Amino acid sequence: MPASAIVMLIFGCVVLYGGLIFCLRRAIKGSKKSEGR
Amino acid sequence: MEERERWGSRAGFIMASIGAAIGLGNVWRFPYICYANGGGAFLIPYFVALITAGIPLMILEFALGRKTQAGAPSAFAQIVGKKTEWIGWLSLFAVMLIFLYYPTIMAWSVNYAVHSATLRWGTNPQNFFFNQFLQNSSGPEVLGGIRWPVLAGLAVVWIAIYLCLFKGVKAVGKVVMWTVTIPWVILVIMVVRGLTLPGALEGLKFYLTPDFSALLKPNVWLAAYGQVFFTLSLAMGTLIVYSSYLPKKSDISNNAYITSLANCGTSFFAGFAVFSTLGYLAQSMGVGVPEVVKSGIGLAFVTYPTVIQLLPFWAPFFGVLFFIMLLTLGIDSAFSQVEPFVAGFTDKWHFSKKWVLPSVCIFGFLVGVLFTTRGGFYWLDIVDYFTCTFGLCLVGFLECVTIGYIHKAHKMREYVNEVSEFRIGKWWDIMIMIVTPVILGISFVFELVKLIQHGYGGYPRWTSFVGLGVIILIIVLSFVFMKIKGKEE
Repeated sequence: MPASAIVMLIFGCVVLYGGLIFCLRRAIKGSKKSEGR
Repeated sequence: MEERERWGSRAGFIMASIGAAIGLGNVWRFPYICYANGGGAFLIPYFVALITAGIPLMILEFALGRKTQAGAPSAFAQIVGKKTEWIGWLSLFAVMLIFLYYPTIMAWSVNYAVHSATLRWGTNPQNFFFNQFLQNSSGPEVLGGIRWPVLAGLAVVWIAIYLCLFKGVKAVGKVVMWTVTIPWVILVIMVVRGLTLPGALEGLKFYLTPDFSALLKPNVWLAAYGQVFFTLSLAMGTLIVYSSYLPKKSDISNNAYITSLANCGTSFFAGFAVFSTLGYLAQSMGVGVPEVVKSGIGLAFVTYPTVIQLLPFWAPFFGVLFFIMLLTLGIDSAFSQVEPFVAGFTDKWHFSKKWVLPSVCIFGFLVGVLFTTRGGFYWLDIVDYFTCTFGLCLVGFLECVTIGYIHKAHKMREYVNEVSEFRIGKWWDIMIMIVTPVILGISFVFELVKLIQHGYGGYPRWTSFVGLGVIILIIVLSFVFMKIKGKEE
């Protein structure tokens, strides 16, 4: 597999799945905070 | 006036938005557009389109709906001015074109769910799909009579859409909790099997290796933006009307990030199932990956059945499950397309949903009969191309220009930041005001010139003029609907 394809794979995974996990965690935290209030 | 409905919970809204976004656009359209535009050559414009237009426009549409608590035409009239109401109508007519052909793909899935029980496509899914199932005519000029199994499937699909929408948005939230999560489990099985096939690596190379020369091709950029609009349900009025059902103090930016990343993550993942199978098919046919399937639009109905056929156990069971999944994926997107169209009428003229909804469903079914003919496949391809490349991209362009320059992007950004978990910076203004309109505008002009000179997809040139004529017609209709007085005017 060419290096550029591996870079594309890593980029896609980090941006899409990494970003999604980060945002979901933030949303869960936000929901807990508003429930606490 | 009927009181506006509300989502049962934030999770219900997020799941419904993901449901609207995750659909056949991920499993059927993304792989075929990616394949038709050179695989890895398409991925860079696709990611650029997601970052520059997908996420910013989703934030914009969520904000528009939440702030105005109205459907697309009323939202534009309230926020930007009465004279821009037609942009909202244009988005509804663009989505109307989509919900005219989209249920046909689902009708194919209904049939394939039945055929899966006996794996009727045998060892040659390509031949089965084009010649036995669709019995394609020689071209778009020959309709060649109705394919009755497809028509029956279409009727089933429209009844399902009607029943789902009849129950209202809270029911939609509950339905999509299942229709979004189950498909992911099945997709994992397909990807694992695809990756373990001989030759899979060749397919992945084609899928992931970037081709920088493709960045100079306007059609690849327009295809990427069109795909992002289609898959995220942008420029269709869907997200505006969904967010209008949100309570006034709900988050905007994080909901937009979650929805768009979940959606594009699903597309990217589905690509592995399709392209690994294409690698296998290329090896077994002794051809290159780009030559495996003759028409991109049928790609999903060639590659997925191939994987199903090659599953080591329970192939018919997984086949039925997979095509039911395609159906459930499509159904929440389909009713998310019908919903804003219905809301446009109920918001402006206060027509009862009881009458508008069945009328729209019957209209959709009747026009959809065209796509169930033996020449319908070609028309589906043509309408899909013109709607996404010109209709959605045009609405996206107009949204950016009107909100960015007339309403002022910074005002909308400040509104979003007041209620959101993530503050958005000035980058958002730049995307809305400069980057997206410039890329869309340039690609649009180049593609239009190319289209007039050469036509689309090897079809006769008159079909391109029909396609452009339909786009012009919906622009005219948008102005007409703006001019007709609403009940409160």
